[in-house]
Amino acid sequence: MNSNRSKPHGLLAEFHTAADIFEAAMRCRDAGFTKWDVYTPFPIHGMDEAMGLRKSPVGWFTFCGGFTGFFTGMTMIWYMNKFDYPLVVGGKPLFTPLYAFPVSYEMTILLSAFGTLFGMFFLNQLPKFYNPLFKNERFKKSTDDRFFLCIEATDPKFGTDVTRTFLTEKCHAAVVELVED
Amino acid sequence: MNAFSRQTKSWMALGGVVAVVAIALFGTLSTLGADAGSAAHSVQEVAHGAASHSATDHGHADHGHAAVSVFSLKQIAHSYLTAYMFCLSLCVGSLFLTLAHHLFDAGWSASIRRVTETVASLLFPWMLILALPIIGFAWTGNLHAWFKINPADDHALDVKKVLFNPMAFTVLVPALITLLGLLARQIRAWSIAQDKDGAAHWTSKSRKLSAAGIFLFAFGVTLLCFLLMKSLQHQFFSTMYGVYYFAGSVWTTLITLYLLTMWLAQPGRPLEKVYFKRQQQDLAVLFFAFTVFYAYIHFSQYFLIWNAALPEETFWYVRREVGSWKWVGMIILFGHFFVPFLLLLNQDIKRNLAVMVPVGAWAWLMQYIDMTYNVMPVLHPEGLHLTLWDPIFWIGMSVALGRLFWFEYRKNPPYPLKDPRLLEAIVHHEVPAPGASAAH
Repeated sequence: MNSNRSKPHGLLAEFHTAADIFEAAMRCRDAGFTKWDVYTPFPIHGMDEAMGLRKSPVGWFTFCGGFTGFFTGMTMIWYMNKFDYPLVVGGKPLFTPLYAFPVSYEMTILLSAFGTLFGMFFLNQLPKFYNPLFKNERFKKSTDDRFFLCIEATDPKFGTDVTRTFLTEKCHAAVVELVED
Repeated sequence: MNAFSRQTKSWMALGGVVAVVAIALFGTLSTLGADAGSAAHSVQEVAHGAASHSATDHGHADHGHAAVSVFSLKQIAHSYLTAYMFCLSLCVGSLFLTLAHHLFDAGWSASIRRVTETVASLLFPWMLILALPIIGFAWTGNLHAWFKINPADDHALDVKKVLFNPMAFTVLVPALITLLGLLARQIRAWSIAQDKDGAAHWTSKSRKLSAAGIFLFAFGVTLLCFLLMKSLQHQFFSTMYGVYYFAGSVWTTLITLYLLTMWLAQPGRPLEKVYFKRQQQDLAVLFFAFTVFYAYIHFSQYFLIWNAALPEETFWYVRREVGSWKWVGMIILFGHFFVPFLLLLNQDIKRNLAVMVPVGAWAWLMQYIDMTYNVMPVLHPEGLHLTLWDPIFWIGMSVALGRLFWFEYRKNPPYPLKDPRLLEAIVHHEVPAPGASAAH
């Protein structure tokens, strides 16, 4: 990692109001940047659209989890009660979706929740133990009263000087800092 | 809300096609029921079994005849009750949404609240007037069997005679509808008063009344559907029945409200400037939630009865597994839950009118079929049997109430003009599309 010391992580722009960063996000979106993100102390309504974010695909993980849960529940009860160890309880049939339903339903919810949580982790590449932004002193205010926008160096449109000019002049950033990797 | 008006008509037509196909389906089912003569016989046995602890069984003897003339008062009474329960569900659903808006101090629903207030206000006097024939049918022995049974002869009735007696029915049904109606009218009156002076105290008054009103609502709606619908088979026990009716009611109301407000928000119509994507999405999300809630409640009722297997409860469902009623039950299971549930899982579908308009028509049909499933097996144990009275009362009553709604709605401002929460409902974040900011 030592050899990468001087490699830039990206340009960190600081803003003082939600309106400023909202405007800046729209400009970054329209300038065609792809590897960038916004860090704010609280959620800003409409930021998803301003950043041009697609709808999150996490719902598909939820659906797959729920689907798996439902059929796991049904299959498990069928296997245990009808196939592996047939046992009459309360004069009820050995298997019917009716009594398997409450368990399958709970399994649906459980695995949907797992699908959502772990799908989100997967899509966000979590857990991530290190991010160069954490080293930046100024960035600590992103949980207080400052709004940050970081364009990463891996972005194909990134160029240290050009992007710095873009952030200060077009986006009216208060401060622009180069963050090293 | 623009660009919808041109296509709305074709979507309406699509909804109509769904309804026609569905009605044809149910027509086929009704003919299936006709040749299930032996099934009718077994139903009588079941019914007798259920009431075996009763001394005698006048009620079932009364209803045991397989064939009921189309022009008999019994047929008319049952069709009328089915249509009435359907229309009542829209009124109580709207009352609930109005109360919920005030209880949660909601913002988003402020702009559509005048619609729910107005539908709920139909309870008094219109739903009260429409309830009077039901009381007449009951007294003449055409509806609830227990009006003509001596409680001393029927143990199941004897233990419930505090509630199930002609006097209680005659007093309670109009009284409850009146009380709920007056509650709705009072909240609407305060809302209209606020349109003039914009004072915030009208809102806090409505909130306080809603806090008390939600209890009146819960007890009132439960008692009403117990008296009007559940007591058609007075031997039945189910503490979930009230919630079951409530869940279906709010479900139907939400999709009705969705389509109605969508229509009212078209260019040139009154809600154009106060109705946005947010209201549309939230109504659809609530509709989706109640799809699940209804299924949860109805399944729970069925499952607990199935699991306990007590004859005085199971007879209600056993009767509904005879002849084509079994298939009606399946249609409710899949059509009321699985189809709308799987269809509406995706969040973008919830704003797609090409899907939502047919879903709305379908939901109306499902709610009506659900009411039929509750009322009609008493009269036609052999299976679903639709007569001309069913569409006449259903469409007639809906159209009449629809016109009354429109008349009442037009008399006042179309949305609460000076509601303190209105700004919250109509402030929305219009984010310029890509490329738009380059113009700066």
